[in-house]
Amino acid sequence: MSVKGLHKIIYPFAPDQSGAAAVLYEMGGMIIVVDAGGCAGNICGFDEPRWLDTKSAIFSAGLRDMDAIMGRDDLMIDKIAKAAKKIDARFVALIGTPVPATIGTDYKALRRMGERRTGLPVITMNTSGAGWYDEGIEKAYEAVIGKFTNDAYTQPVMRGTAGVLGVTPLDCGRLDAAARIEEILKGEGMTDVFCHCTAKGLSDLGRAGSAEKNIVVAASGLKAARMLREKYGTPYECRDLLASDVWDQLKKDSPELSAASFAGKRTLIIHQQIRANSLRGIIREELAEAAAETRIDAATWFMLDDEIKEEGDFRIKEEADFFGIIENGGYDIIMADPSFRKAAKGFKGTFIDLPHFAVSGTLL
Amino acid sequence: MYEWALKPGKADGAHILSMYERAIKPGKADGAHILSMYERAIKPGKAHGAHILSMYERALKAGKAHGAHILCMCGKAEKHGVAYSAHILCMCERWNKENVMAEKPYNITVKELNERGSGSIPSELVPASQLIYSSPATLAFNSPGATGFGVKRAGLAVPGSVMLLVAPGCCGRNTKLVSEIPGYEDRFFFLLMDESDIVNGDHVGRVPEAVKEVVEYLDEKPSVVMVCGTCVDALLGTDWDLVCRKAEDASGVPVRPCYMYALTREGRKPPMVLVRKAIYSLLEPAKRDPRTVNLLGYFAPLDDDCELYSLLKQAGVRRINEISRCEDYESYLGMSKANFNIVLNHEARTAAADMSSRLGMPYVELTRLYQTDKIANQYRAFAEGIGAEFDDREYREAAEAAVREFTEKHEGLRVAVGEMSNANAFELALALTRYGLEVPEIYSSTSKEDFVYIRRLAELTPETRVFTNLSPTMLNYDCGSAGADLTIGADAAFYSPDCPNVPWNGEKQPFGYEAVRKLFAEMEAAL
Repeated sequence: MSVKGLHKIIYPFAPDQSGAAAVLYEMGGMIIVVDAGGCAGNICGFDEPRWLDTKSAIFSAGLRDMDAIMGRDDLMIDKIAKAAKKIDARFVALIGTPVPATIGTDYKALRRMGERRTGLPVITMNTSGAGWYDEGIEKAYEAVIGKFTNDAYTQPVMRGTAGVLGVTPLDCGRLDAAARIEEILKGEGMTDVFCHCTAKGLSDLGRAGSAEKNIVVAASGLKAARMLREKYGTPYECRDLLASDVWDQLKKDSPELSAASFAGKRTLIIHQQIRANSLRGIIREELAEAAAETRIDAATWFMLDDEIKEEGDFRIKEEADFFGIIENGGYDIIMADPSFRKAAKGFKGTFIDLPHFAVSGTLL
Repeated sequence: MYEWALKPGKADGAHILSMYERAIKPGKADGAHILSMYERAIKPGKAHGAHILSMYERALKAGKAHGAHILCMCGKAEKHGVAYSAHILCMCERWNKENVMAEKPYNITVKELNERGSGSIPSELVPASQLIYSSPATLAFNSPGATGFGVKRAGLAVPGSVMLLVAPGCCGRNTKLVSEIPGYEDRFFFLLMDESDIVNGDHVGRVPEAVKEVVEYLDEKPSVVMVCGTCVDALLGTDWDLVCRKAEDASGVPVRPCYMYALTREGRKPPMVLVRKAIYSLLEPAKRDPRTVNLLGYFAPLDDDCELYSLLKQAGVRRINEISRCEDYESYLGMSKANFNIVLNHEARTAAADMSSRLGMPYVELTRLYQTDKIANQYRAFAEGIGAEFDDREYREAAEAAVREFTEKHEGLRVAVGEMSNANAFELALALTRYGLEVPEIYSSTSKEDFVYIRRLAELTPETRVFTNLSPTMLNYDCGSAGADLTIGADAAFYSPDCPNVPWNGEKQPFGYEAVRKLFAEMEAAL
């Protein structure tokens, strides 16, 4: 029995604060990571591939020990108000880290103080650094939908309009994801596509209620889709629009790979739930009748939603659980991020690399 | 009248707007009145959406309602649900445009900075007084584990050591980068906290068992397990010495704490000071060898051809220890035989003081400088201090020849200097200025200690501008505006992306005359 939380081989994944920042990165707000410095450094230097090319007003609150111990929120608000006068920002976002989680920061009060002092809308996310990125994405969506959509008016539904949720580099693994998704959906006959919380995110959010449907490409966007269904009655569907591209890329990388490679075998796909589901769907479709004798399970270290899971799908929580699956899972093929290879060194079957940026920081 | 017009069956929508418009003309309603009109208009059934926005816009334009009123209008529009989110946003944007001019990046001339003096450093140059902009230029500074030798990598300076990082997942995330550096594979382990650990501190009780499991997992016993704590434990007040003693009992190997406490970065003992103390804490008193010295301060060795090695040999020293050159644990332990320590980086002063009190090992400090006359003075004073004599002429001449050759060829060259380099940005700027080059901009935070250089810079190049990498206003820095011909420092490259750059932040450490010679050679190569 391994000690709870001990990781001997697998490195920690992108944390919740990185997920929140990924949603907000291009929305034109002033993003403040409520930390001492290290968390902002981790987000920018590791989890945010857009950081080197796209300027964003992302700041560390630069908390010091006495600020935290004495709960000097007013000092932080002073700093924010001072910066807000000098930065052209549309809103202020406060992203939590282990420091505010430890001292029990009152985000509601911060929000009120911040709005009063800056005159800008303020959103807060109580991320703690202990959750994984998908929880942060969920919290950020919740905050922006709550703040920047309005439920007082029902907006007329525009036929041919689709909203897309879950588009971040952490899940999609590519920087051109929004453009590619738009291309795919327009190819399917949609006339207007808005990938929420990407470069045009804030203005698109204002017309979120006019979408004919929402498409959720990553499980981290599911809660947002449900919020929008609640508000506007917009239906949603879950499918990873980039899964076909991923499948094509995998086949290009390994020319011997095809759906037939999976026929009659037991396969485990480890990724975020919707990508794993979509890849499974593609393989089954290509297998046609042979799909009946082929078992493909989806597993994830992240959120596993009951509504879209199949029997046999599961969530991995501890490193020790992963070792157990490798040794005793009975799988012939595992598709997972290449960084899991080392932890799967005892695996006798075929390991197929399926990069996940939130795991290894590898873009597709 | 207005109020009457709002009554059912009377004026509505466009009429209300029109009345409002008239009211805000000069000499009519003002401030609170306008707000009151606005407030009435947004009540259900009256003007809404585009009208509200238009009213708001007019209030702004007319210079009537402002500040708290405008904000209040915006808040009310939201509360009543009359304006769409897009309108509200638009209001905010307009409020912004009226009130926020994207400010030029903060900067100050060295003359002005010198006039203010070390007791009155502008708050914009002090990290703790503002939000910290996350640019590529600040990453190394702001994140103690991010790049170069941060706490995580430094904590593994002891040969054969491994590290258990006890933290929420976020603190261990970028460790993957360090683990990809040769020599650091398989040396990091993580005890991840969940949210209840953060609040209750339950993780602390799991540390001894986790250390034991790590030691049992490894094929070879580690020389020491460094247990690295983070901000959460800084706030919980975890007694790491006690925890490490328990872990030592459980695992049977030495266990030492190191502190990645970013919260204490400007404190008396910041993380990079404490980690230096931690890595020498395993040294025990031993019989001293009068011909052995330790160089403290860096986690990588000095450049192989640094003259300090030769000068120490001239003084009779036979063995020069650096932790980064220790091939195994035994040779690391041999550092306790040194006659004295030479501190090359002030962040090692606490470690040296600790070794002085525990091991009776005295220390002397040398500073990295780029002014050759000052280097000469420092060596002279050092030699006198240890009762020796150095002949440094050959090295000094080589350095000065390199400087002469470069400055003759590139007279008046404009060089922007950053702080992400193996130099003090102000001292380097002073050296370059004294050699006849021009320094238009310096990118560095400022401390009291820098004023010894700032005073001289103010005399020689008063208009040189000092920027700080950390200021939020650096978001507005117009990259390429420095007018530099060359930049030194990885951060300076960010601000002048099209300009030749010498990063000068390699891991092997330049020092003394050899540093000057090499820097000018690299500057020449970059051009």
